[in-house]
Amino acid sequence: MASLRKILIANRGEIALRLIRACREMGISPVAVYSDVDRSALHVQHADEAYRLGPAPSVDSYLCGDRILEIARRCGADAIHPGYGFLSENADFAEACAAAGITFIGPPAPAMRELGSKTRARAAADRARMPRTPGSVRGLVSAEEALRLAEEIGYPVMLKAAAGGGGKGMRAIQGPAELPSAFVSASEEAARAFGSGEVYLEKLIERPRHIEIQLLADQHGNAVYLGERECSVQRRHQKVIEEAPSAVVGPELRRRMGETACRLAREAGYVNAGTVEFLLDEAQNFYFLEVNTRLQVEHAVTELVTGLDLVHLQIAIAEGKPLPFTQEEITLRGHAVEVRVYAEDPENGFLPSPGKITRLLRPGGPGLREDEGVYEGWQVPTEYDPMLSKLIAFAPDRATAIARLGCAIDEYVIGGIRTNLKLLRRILDDADFQAARIDTGYLDRLLAEPAPADVEAPPASAEAAAMGAVLFAAPQAPGPAAQPQTPWQRDALRQGLAR
Amino acid sequence: MTVLEVEVDGVVHRVALERRAEGSVIHMDGQTIPVDVCEPMPGVLSLLIGNSGIGDSGTGDGGGENGAGGRAYRCVRTVFADEESIAVAGRQHRVVVADPRSLRGRRKGPGAGNGTLHIKASMPGRVARVLVAPGEAVVAGQGVVVIEAMKMQNELKAARDGRVAEVRVAAGDTVASGQVLAVIE
Repeated sequence: MASLRKILIANRGEIALRLIRACREMGISPVAVYSDVDRSALHVQHADEAYRLGPAPSVDSYLCGDRILEIARRCGADAIHPGYGFLSENADFAEACAAAGITFIGPPAPAMRELGSKTRARAAADRARMPRTPGSVRGLVSAEEALRLAEEIGYPVMLKAAAGGGGKGMRAIQGPAELPSAFVSASEEAARAFGSGEVYLEKLIERPRHIEIQLLADQHGNAVYLGERECSVQRRHQKVIEEAPSAVVGPELRRRMGETACRLAREAGYVNAGTVEFLLDEAQNFYFLEVNTRLQVEHAVTELVTGLDLVHLQIAIAEGKPLPFTQEEITLRGHAVEVRVYAEDPENGFLPSPGKITRLLRPGGPGLREDEGVYEGWQVPTEYDPMLSKLIAFAPDRATAIARLGCAIDEYVIGGIRTNLKLLRRILDDADFQAARIDTGYLDRLLAEPAPADVEAPPASAEAAAMGAVLFAAPQAPGPAAQPQTPWQRDALRQGLAR
Repeated sequence: MTVLEVEVDGVVHRVALERRAEGSVIHMDGQTIPVDVCEPMPGVLSLLIGNSGIGDSGTGDGGGENGAGGRAYRCVRTVFADEESIAVAGRQHRVVVADPRSLRGRRKGPGAGNGTLHIKASMPGRVARVLVAPGEAVVAGQGVVVIEAMKMQNELKAARDGRVAEVRVAAGDTVASGQVLAVIE
């Protein structure tokens, strides 16, 4: 198969920019697509070519497979990289790409159907003799059926969208009273987010850790695992902090989880990058959760501890190249921790906080990676996920990586919108997090406690803020900044309005 | 010299800035503190506080009587809605500056807990569901309207017990930030 020359990136935000950069590094021309509210987005600024998709809502833009394929054909792209979310796990789209002679950078449509649907993946896991949670292996037709099945396996149970991801269409159910209304809202949310309202039910594992295995499979039947990631710090099943390796997974458990994941990949004819997610209970039993048939948001932590570039490898696999290494050649080194920076207000029910970023000062330093999707002056739209960027620290050990990430958050200033930076700092400072005493309920428990006062502010910092406030309010700050800074201020001076 | 009342995270400080020939000082809560200020970029101040005579006194603007320099702070001013914040070393401090000699700049008091309660959209979005009907009794914490924005559904809850006086939206409506969705008495 020939080398790819031009790749259309069917996504937006930080992942679009990360993919654009990978293309450029490989001498491939990146093409962006955008909705009306993304005309001035970072990914459009960085691409070689960019084409309009349509109005802001995803269904009219980033989910329009036909339009994206037509743009790819007309601009001469040989491949499409879907990123994560949007069309990344849409088998019909992958099939349409193949039919149009355009390489879809991801698994083939049949493997995606097999593993991308959570209900079918659970059946496939049974065939691969992989442990899974008790529950349904097909979609539920009614709330009554859900009630019957929940009664059978016992509460608490989880309702999940078969086509889901990122916590959408997912509900934990403690008893039968909650089930009927949760069934309706979960399928509604799933239908809107994924175009399919199919939901299924499984037994809820108490205090599990979320451990996932990163896979790579080429077109020649080779499959390897790149170690695990731990993503136990979640809120509403949305990952907030991820790390690699997990503090509780030793070489033997890693090998067992990795090998069973590779076995599932081979059974399903899987090709390209993928992730098998597991729940790990306190006795170190693991249960298959689902397969993400795409690049993950948190792929960067794996890249840092393996020294590999997953997007480069995805492209090489799509080009038909064999994996350039064997399982034995993959070694893990150091520790990486990632935080997801969201435009949301943790002090106000985590309401999304779209709006204009009026100030952006980025952190820096060794071992720090920022996959950024925004810039100062950017208007964060209301239509999409509120993730602004990912901040990842790499260090020889976990404690140093956590300290490094905490310092980076202290340097980071995002003004004009609310963000979760302060909460992220609080988690990194938390004794349980630092001791890796975490499970998927950890963050909810932390949020139920009042924030410790020392996290709020050292007194000297408040004094400096008081002084700063007075100096900002002063008629003229000393030094060069005393000069009028903007045309607006100059006009005000001319009209004698300025103090 | 104007004394300003500065509220930082709810604590009020009385602060005055005095520019002396040998450098600026800040009078705060009865203390006099030398401060060296520069604004490296608009909205960002570098403060060197509590000059201890360690640095060279020099001859420039920054030189204090005992030499320039001190504890270093970076203050970054940001504004969200009508709230001013100053970020110092990763901490966001909410600040309100008021000149006691004028009412200008004073913030209105927090909304009282009695009387009418307006359930407002805190951001633009779409009404996913209305959970109450006019005349219905509601208890504190009960969901009133579900708004969908940024692909997430958010339930707006009643802050206290009451009775639904009005519902001003229906499922499917597009709402603007701050729009009143329901009224509770």
